[in-house]
Amino acid sequence: MDEFERELRQAFERRPAPPGLKRRLMEQRNRGRTQRLHRRVVWGERLAASVVLAGVLGGALVWRHAKEVRKGQAAREQVLTALRITSHALHDMNARLAARNSASQE
Amino acid sequence: MAHDWQPDFEQLVDEHQTMVFSLAMRMTGDRGLAEEIAQDVFMELDRHLGKIESHEHALFWLRRVAMSRSADALRRRRVRGMDLWVEIEENHGAPGEERNSPLATRLEQLLATLPEAQRAALVLRYQEDLTPDEIAATLDAPLATVKSHLQRGLKLLRAKATSRLKEFVRTKEQPSGA
Repeated sequence: MDEFERELRQAFERRPAPPGLKRRLMEQRNRGRTQRLHRRVVWGERLAASVVLAGVLGGALVWRHAKEVRKGQAAREQVLTALRITSHALHDMNARLAARNSASQE
Repeated sequence: MAHDWQPDFEQLVDEHQTMVFSLAMRMTGDRGLAEEIAQDVFMELDRHLGKIESHEHALFWLRRVAMSRSADALRRRRVRGMDLWVEIEENHGAPGEERNSPLATRLEQLLATLPEAQRAALVLRYQEDLTPDEIAATLDAPLATVKSHLQRGLKLLRAKATSRLKEFVRTKEQPSGA
């Protein structure tokens, strides 16, 4: 290393950082952390709201499906009752016709 | 692999703010910009703190990111068409620089006139006292390229100093004065 390089080394000593740089850095870091925390809280709230909304919608769909199943079953019961009544009436009618036929033949 | 070293952001700022600021200052020639770069570098360090494995790793990481951010800042300035080095004359009057000798100040001004790659190599060599291998690793450049930049930069700086700093050379040769 020659004289010029020694001069360079002296000339290129580290310069002191501006006063307050560390303070500004720590403030910026704290601000960033607060903002990140706030963002996390907001996203947490959004997530919770989404879960609740999904639950409500899902519950409504399940309830609606169950209601339609119940209505279908009731309609089926009504049709079966009507068929049973009709069958019973036809059976009575057949019995009466059979009795009248046998009476007329005698 | 487990490592015992736990990074402490505040301590890292205390220890390395001067280094990061000086690198940015010598690369950009602008105190305000250098301070912005130093803040960006340390904020990025904060985000990557979990990945820092040792004190040496932190030092290497900070040098590397400081150089890279300074290069980005210079590129942005070029795109905007601003001449960085016009500012250096004014910036040398900034507080905290009174301790610099006139020769040191002039050498820094001459450094500012070198091409960016040569300046980066010389700053890491003479400010940070790095070997060419370490400079190559820091700048992510081939070793031969770094050696070439060092040689050419030093030669150019020496030539400029010889032609422009004659008054200092005379003063050094004749300390009693004429």
